[in-house]
Amino acid sequence: MTDVVLAACRWLENTSWAVTVRESALAYPVMQWVHFVGLSLWLGACLTVDLRLIGVGQRRQTAAELSNGLFAWKWIGFGVAFAGGFLLFSAYATMYVSNAAFFLKVAVLTPLALMWHLAVQKRAGAWTEAEHTSAIGRWAGVIEFVLWISVVTAAVGFLLTNVS
Amino acid sequence: MYGFVSVIHHSAVLFSIGTIVLLDLRILGVANQNQTVSAFAELLRPWAWIGFGSAVISGFLLFASQAAAYVAATPFRVKMLIIVLAVIAALAVEWSVPKWDRARVMPVTAKLLALISIVLWLGALLAAVEISELTGLG
Repeated sequence: MTDVVLAACRWLENTSWAVTVRESALAYPVMQWVHFVGLSLWLGACLTVDLRLIGVGQRRQTAAELSNGLFAWKWIGFGVAFAGGFLLFSAYATMYVSNAAFFLKVAVLTPLALMWHLAVQKRAGAWTEAEHTSAIGRWAGVIEFVLWISVVTAAVGFLLTNVS
Repeated sequence: MYGFVSVIHHSAVLFSIGTIVLLDLRILGVANQNQTVSAFAELLRPWAWIGFGSAVISGFLLFASQAAAYVAATPFRVKMLIIVLAVIAALAVEWSVPKWDRARVMPVTAKLLALISIVLWLGALLAAVEISELTGLG
């Protein structure tokens, strides 16, 4: 771990909001809940669109129409999950960042899944122009589904190995 | 093995609650407005129940690993009670969707039920977080 990252984490831990989350009996679990609430909206919307791209289930809306219809709540969910997650991280930044599963989740898997998601969101219209979603669109859906499950896997790995 | 089951539980819980809440938001008139309520419900139904079923099975396995401690824990009992109520609310929504869809405006009871469903499912999530916080289980 580079010194710069650790120094930034130490600074974060000493911010007023991090101290509040760490020292209050309620704040940490409530932030965990906030993180989960946001995640449920995000995963509910993203995985439903992925499944539609893959082509399983009811097909009355195209994946692009579904993606548009869920756009607002999906990003509200992401914002809520990010805000909650950031506060949780702030409270124990140096400890979290030295956990391999957490580092993998935050530095590798989440950015990767997010970039993939943005590409899928942008291209979904083109993939669904024909009556059936193109093969590229279907595989893009499979890959996004797997990427988000891998993010959850790393997160659970972190929960099980982090002793706080 | 515990880790694997826990991954399934976390994924399934988040996914099924997400799909159920999205339908409730559609009933409240603030999500996926270009689709009818009943068509959206039809799309989400298998995902919500497959997710819920996976969550129950994986949850039972996690529970079985420390059953006595879980049964004694108040937040766990509260969570189970809220889940039962939330399932009843979700079934009531499913049951009524075709009827509501024929109405010109979404009835107040529909919106009220959707709101209750959201509160219950998010309440179950809060109780779940409190289990490990208050008892150290899981």
